[in-house]
Amino acid sequence: MAAKNRVAITGIGIFCGAGKDIPAFTASLVNGTSGIAPLDLFDISAFPSKLGCQVKEYDPRAYFDRRETRKLSRADQFGIIAAGEALRQSGLPGAYNPYQIGVSLGAGAAGMFQSEQWLKSHLQGVAAEPSLLRGILPDKTTTEIALRFGLAGYQGSITTACSSSSTAIGWGAELVATGKQRAVVAGGTDTLSILTFAGFNSLKVIDPNPCSPFSLGRQGISLGEGAAFMVLEQEHDAISRNAKILGYVLGYAIAGEAFHMTAPDPSGSTAARVMSDAISASGVNASQIGWINAHGTGTPLNDVVESNAMKLVFGTQAAKVPLVSTKGLTGHCLGAAGAIEAVATLIALRNGFIPQTLNFRGRDPECDLEYCHNGSITSDSQTAVSNSFAFGGNITSLVLSR
Amino acid sequence: MRYDFQNIVITGYSSLSAAGKGIDPLLHMLTANESALTPVPTEYSHGRDLLWGRSINFKASDFIPPLKARKMDRCSQFAVAASGLALKDAGLDVKQLQPERIGIALGCGFGGLANSAEFLEGYFSGGIEGLSPMLFPNTVANAPASNASIEHGLKGPNVTMVQRFCSAESAFLMACRCIEEGRADVMLTGGADSLMPLMIAGFAATGQLNRYAAAFGEGCGVLVLEHAKHAACRHARIKGLVSNVATVGLIMPGYEAEAEQILLSELSNDVRCSLSGTAAQTALFRQVLTRSPSPLRIEPVVGRSLAMGGTALGVLLSTLGSNQKGLHLASSPEGPHYAISLTGGSSV
Repeated sequence: MAAKNRVAITGIGIFCGAGKDIPAFTASLVNGTSGIAPLDLFDISAFPSKLGCQVKEYDPRAYFDRRETRKLSRADQFGIIAAGEALRQSGLPGAYNPYQIGVSLGAGAAGMFQSEQWLKSHLQGVAAEPSLLRGILPDKTTTEIALRFGLAGYQGSITTACSSSSTAIGWGAELVATGKQRAVVAGGTDTLSILTFAGFNSLKVIDPNPCSPFSLGRQGISLGEGAAFMVLEQEHDAISRNAKILGYVLGYAIAGEAFHMTAPDPSGSTAARVMSDAISASGVNASQIGWINAHGTGTPLNDVVESNAMKLVFGTQAAKVPLVSTKGLTGHCLGAAGAIEAVATLIALRNGFIPQTLNFRGRDPECDLEYCHNGSITSDSQTAVSNSFAFGGNITSLVLSR
Repeated sequence: MRYDFQNIVITGYSSLSAAGKGIDPLLHMLTANESALTPVPTEYSHGRDLLWGRSINFKASDFIPPLKARKMDRCSQFAVAASGLALKDAGLDVKQLQPERIGIALGCGFGGLANSAEFLEGYFSGGIEGLSPMLFPNTVANAPASNASIEHGLKGPNVTMVQRFCSAESAFLMACRCIEEGRADVMLTGGADSLMPLMIAGFAATGQLNRYAAAFGEGCGVLVLEHAKHAACRHARIKGLVSNVATVGLIMPGYEAEAEQILLSELSNDVRCSLSGTAAQTALFRQVLTRSPSPLRIEPVVGRSLAMGGTALGVLLSTLGSNQKGLHLASSPEGPHYAISLTGGSSV
């Protein structure tokens, strides 16, 4: 995308357990205030881990009327709230013909939180509220955002598990860079559900304590939920309409490892190739990358593989490029993780710091790079990479600049 | 929006559906005005006389080693099998090429939900003792594309799109862009769906059994897209060219003419059309029925599914003569809408 038009970010929005809007999330990111806490969204008493990064004290009626509250899944609601914040900041509504504004969304379990309530009743032979099923497919959120904000252009929903929403941002940027859409609202949404909580528990990859990426003794992830969106436009369009430019999506790369449905390739070679391709596609070189927002889940294997990939990309300089994970702050938000981490990366770039990787338990000899475990550090970096890895071996790297 | 393409050719395609293996059985039934739809068993039909397009003759073990097949959901089995058939049709041996330059972009409908339901049933009935960790990895919608990439060694771009009845068309656009952008030389694309009785219960609960869910189908249609230069270098037979892909998300009241200009600029009396998803019910596309009197519709033969576009595109392509134009139209009830222009096999 380097030779094409620069893609500016003119609005951002977020709604997650670490902050229900950009100012609150920024404060959490700056202060290292984690949203991971005991869960109460559903009964978790049977599971060894009781923690996650849930959006607490959430009353849908504060955002939606009664009919909408019934019609929209929790994921739809989070998505609309975050997209709305991004659109308000951008001042985009009305700026372009409706067919010139699209929606590119990454999703995970979509409306599973509601749908599994329907399933439970159905299995018990009890009549359940049909609207619980309306958000079962992730494209529902995409369409709802388009309908609500009058965006009649491109509609696409990417579902590559935990890399969905970073791919959605990269793809949205491509639609803008090629001039096929004047603007794209790009991001992702996902919520906690019994399916994912029980699923990751069954794989024994949930840490009973708050996740501690890249630390010795880490036992896995802490799940989270939320949504984040960016408004993307061509730089010259943003300048023409006097929009505030918050940063840029410089490029992205995607690939499948073709290795295993759940385990990453231990060599990290595909992850390294994707990072290198993304950097190359962005028209920058590796020496210009200030830091990496890691996928950094906190599982024993992921963090070693990602560290290995860093060494393949940056060689002898790897330890000088901080590899930090914000999942200790937000939990692993699955389909929304890439978008939430992209927004976190942009906020940190704009505010001149590299976020802390929370919950340090000790140095792992296999994770021997700089992870900012001791606290956030001041940085004048212009450019950073955000990584997302997923079930199926899907890998996405996104390059952002301020 | 509309992307025009100059250098993307189709070198292979295949399908698995209720009609059988490959495009030919489906095309034969379509031509003979026959249907592969069968009655939904009464225990699932909610007292209605329903038909479905179940691929009853599909045996995963014909395509995948049984131990591997056991670990996959049905939708993944379709995707792995159909991808293998399409690669074979294209004459591509992935091992002889750079696997990093071969990717997959697949549309998926309800893929992953069968495993999700089974996994949750285990939990609801047996608590944590009832959880089956083997089911969980294939609860994600990208399981079909990822399993296909693992089985066939595709290390290039890997994407799954879920976009209601335009899932395959959404993936098709992204596959084209991956080639156009130089991210890959070859992209497999199309759509995969699997049927499960619980779907019918869900549609019955939401009152959509007759409107959208009557005669639901399953299977997988895959096309092999390739950069023209890459295809030429290996002397591949060109089965079609991709001319352009146009899409709008919503047809806005007051802006219908603009949507028509975006979607139907390629429509003419000599273009062969296919209608997919709910395109036949979309007002904008109804005019196709007058200008192209016999549009191809696979729905009466194998059923309708969210990612049926891969198979529908394969059928359209198989009916095009050399240099003949084809226009594939697809819609979802609330959008999006797609128009994909193809040209029948010719030398490039």
